[in-house]
Order: sequence, then structure tokens, then C-alpha cells
Amino acid sequence: MKAYLSAFRMRRKMEMQYRGAVLGGIVCQVFFGLVLIAIYRALYAGKPQPMPLGRISSYVWLQQAFFRMLLASDPDLLDKIRTGSIAYDLCRPLNLYGFYYARILAQKMMGSLLRAVPMLAFAFLLPEGWGLQLPASAAGLAWSLAGLGLGLLCVSALENITMGFTMRTLDSRGMQGMLNMLMMILSGNILPLTLFPDSWQRVITLLPYAQLLDAPIRLYTGDTAPADAPGILLIQLCWVLALTGCGILFWRKNQRRIEIQGG
Amino acid sequence: MSYIHVLNLEKRFVIREKRKKGALSREKKTVHALQNVSFDVERGELLGYIGPNGAGKSTTVKILSGILTPEGGEVTVGGRIPWKERKEHVRRIGVVFGQRTQLWWDVPIQDSYDLLKEIYRIPDADYRKRLGEMAEALQLTELLRTPLRQLSLGQKMRAELCGSLLHRPDLLFLDEPTIGLDAVSKLALRDFLKWENRQYGTTVLLTTHDMEDIVALCPRVMVLGHGRKLFDGTLGNLLSRYDTVRTVSVRYEETEARPVLPESVPVQRDGGSLVITYAPAEFPTAEMVTLLQKAGTIRELTVQSRNIDHLVADMYREMDL
Repeated sequence: MKAYLSAFRMRRKMEMQYRGAVLGGIVCQVFFGLVLIAIYRALYAGKPQPMPLGRISSYVWLQQAFFRMLLASDPDLLDKIRTGSIAYDLCRPLNLYGFYYARILAQKMMGSLLRAVPMLAFAFLLPEGWGLQLPASAAGLAWSLAGLGLGLLCVSALENITMGFTMRTLDSRGMQGMLNMLMMILSGNILPLTLFPDSWQRVITLLPYAQLLDAPIRLYTGDTAPADAPGILLIQLCWVLALTGCGILFWRKNQRRIEIQGG
Repeated sequence: MSYIHVLNLEKRFVIREKRKKGALSREKKTVHALQNVSFDVERGELLGYIGPNGAGKSTTVKILSGILTPEGGEVTVGGRIPWKERKEHVRRIGVVFGQRTQLWWDVPIQDSYDLLKEIYRIPDADYRKRLGEMAEALQLTELLRTPLRQLSLGQKMRAELCGSLLHRPDLLFLDEPTIGLDAVSKLALRDFLKWENRQYGTTVLLTTHDMEDIVALCPRVMVLGHGRKLFDGTLGNLLSRYDTVRTVSVRYEETEARPVLPESVPVQRDGGSLVITYAPAEFPTAEMVTLLQKAGTIRELTVQSRNIDHLVADMYREMDL
């Protein structure tokens, strides 16, 4: 267990070295946040929607702040698979799935926290209808933090399955491009899931992608009442277990038919 | 039973090749990476493993280190089947893949070692002692806080070797460890490997294209070609079959001096000296020197056997590799 923890700590430390990337990411995500909110404001000016504008802007900011959780693959891991340096990791007395999971988790957690904290501080300072609102309730905040934790486990498990596909196809671009597209739409990053038609929402919110950020954000904004929180967290937990289980089986199968690239 | 026991090892790969016509259709082709390879290695041996590119050397190493599963044959290392008892097996081995890296690119190498310590569960005291000893021997002490990306190729290779030996493995696989290194780094690396082998009885299996590595380190050498074992024995035995020609270069005080030699022995002029190529089997060297002395006063004389790389090239050619 200590080995996995050490890998986690090491990757976290590494993530903190790329300060320029953090700054660039923040600028980019702030820009996206402002543009998206401007679009929703225009939409609301034409035809007001049932969801209050303040919630939409909070939703957008939270999505943008934790963007790094969704769309970021560890370039080192992809490189290892592509060039065959994975051979070293294959001859360690470790479970490779767990070892990579620890790295992915560290990268997603540290990467998004480093960006989220300054961005959320900035979003709080913006005027009403542009910025981030305070959480609907203290209970809502507590539940949403728990939900965010589960969302992080969920997205790491998803990423590790993508890694498994990369091990088969050797190039991450095809499979990742497809899965990322799905993720961006179904996680609510492009269009808040709260704006989808109600009948769609009933299905979409059950899918794994909604568990990453949409579920905790709804708990924060109060779209989901604290009383319903245990049910939401249970759905999240089920997905974490299912995706992790699938990933472990997939990797085990992969390891039996592995080939190492490049002599 | 010997420490490493390999019997009738078989490994096949299926390669998909693009057909000439049709962008989407692919043809499957089976490549026999290893066929019927058998050998045994005792504890503490230094074994050199040579053969041209694509001979199956790395595939053997990957099977022995538990990464690949072979299609047939028996393999045990220290009584364990590598790919079946992978975790227990890899705890006792160390691997250096010369062209890959196991250390983390952006962090000080000491941090990578600390992670390896946790992975192999090396006790604190052992770890400190071992790292101190290895860093000293490999001249890494000053570099422990430097990120890997700032090291030169030679430093990087020494750092990789240190990482692979921290847990004091019984068996060390070296896959082209001296590739791209300068002379000083190569010599330092070889000295260290000899020392490690003597000190701890570490069994070493070395694959390389650098014949000097083999000459310096390995009493026993195995040749692999097209996935088959072609030779297993001492380097001396291997080369004596190909080492059939000597070149003597002689320079006389008198510029017009000409030794009297049989017609079959070619003589070439190279600047002020004469270069003579002969086969010692037919024309003993002592006799050659006597003949040369008769022709005049010798100012300079050197006898050379052929470069070992040429011998190996001849050998590969004859074995049709």
C-alpha cells in the first residue's frame, strides 16, 4: 500500500512543478467561463429559463474550475505505453492497475485543485448573475465535497480504462478522442446538464459521466436537496465500484497478451 | 537444478501487415521470435548474450523477467516460473533496458529511488547503506538531488543501474547497458558490474552489441540468430574459428628494403611501411618475423589480429544472420 501512496505523492509533487501550465490553464478556463456565461445571459434575455441565472453561472464556474479533472491524460503514462518503457513497470512487484490509478488520481486531484482555488476565488468576486454563488446550504456544501471525492475516484477509474485501450491500440488519440467527446457532453461541461430536457436528464444523470462533476455541483447549488444526497452518492459509489472492477479485469486481460514496443 | 533453466523455449508474435492494395485490409503474419532455445545458467555467472538486431535477445529477457508469456517450453528462475509467479519472481530480479528509463523525468533521482524503496519494501537501514555504497561506486553522490532530465547520457545510465540494483537482486538483466556511452563511462560501468558480481554473487545476463562489453565481463557467451541458439561457450572458443588472419606492418631503415615472401602472401605499401596479411596456421608468426628481419634493419614492427567486431561480423555472415 505504501508503494501506491508514494507513487501518488510523487505524481502530486510533479504536478506542482508546472506552474506556468497552471497559470495558462486558469486564464483559458476563466475566458471560457466568461464566454459561456455571456451566452447564457443572452439566452436568458431572449427567453428566461426555469433555472435561475445565478445557478447557471455557479454551475459554469464550478465546471470550469475542475476542468482539469476531466480532460487531462498523464503524458508520461501515454509515452510509456507508446515507447515500451512500460516494460519497467511490468517487472515491479506491484499491481499495475493500482500503481497507475494512484498516479492518475494524484494528477487529476492536484491539477484541478491548483487551478480551482484561485479560479473560484476570482468567480466569487464577480457580480451577481456573472459569478459563483455561495453554496445553497452548509449541508449541501458538505455533501457536494463528498460527491466531488467520489467523482474524482470515478474519473480516475474511467481514465485508467482509457489507458487500457491505449495499451491495445498503442495510440491514445482515437479512443480518447471518442471518449473525451462523450465526456465533455455528458458531464455537463459544454452545456449544463440542468438545461437538458427533463426526460433526458433522468437518463443522463444515471450515466457515469454525470457522476464526475454534475452530481457534486447540483448538491452545491441546491438543485439536489440535501435530503436526496445519500441516493446520489450511492449512485456515484456504484459507478466507482463498477468502473474500478471493469478496469482491473481489463488490465489483467491486457497483461496476458501484452507486447512491448521497440525491441 | 540450475538457477536459470530454459528448455525448448518458443515465442511467436502475430504481426499485421498492410497489403499493397486496399488501405483497410491487413494480412496476418506469424513471426517466430524464439524457436527451441534451451540453456542453463548457474548462480553467480556472467553470461553474455549476443546476436544481430531482431535475433530474439530482448524477447528472451522479457520472458525471463516475467513480462511476456511464451507459447511453449519450460522456464524456471530460482525454481519459479516467471510469468506465473510474477510478483514473487520480480522481487528478486533487477532489469536495465538500455534505451528506456525507469526513473522519473522531472524529479530528483533520489525521489525516484525513494519510490523504488517503497515498491521493493527495502528496510530503511538497508536502503541508506545500499544507496550510499552504490552512489559512491557509480559516482552519483553529487547528483542525487538533480532531476533526471538534467543528467548526461552516461550519468543517466549509471543512475538507471543504481535504481535497478537498490533492492539487491539475485539476478540482473542488462539489455544494452553501454549503448551511446563514452569510453570513460563504459569502463566505469563495467568495473562496477564486475565488483557487484564478485561482492554479492549477482547473476548477470547481458545483451549487447558492444563486443568489448563481452570481452571485459563475460567468460561465457551465447549467440542467438533468427530465434535459435547458435553457440554457447567461451568467447575464445567462438572466435578462434574466425580469428584466422594476422596483419603485420613493418617499416625499415632502408626505404628500398623488400622481404622475400611466397607468392601467396600479399604485400601492400602504406606510406613508408609495408602491410602484409597472412594466416598464422600456414605461416607461423615466428617464421614471418625471421623473414622480415633478413630483408633489412627494422625500425618498427606491429602484428595485429583482426578487430573483434569484424570477427563477429564474419561469424554472423557465415551463420547467415
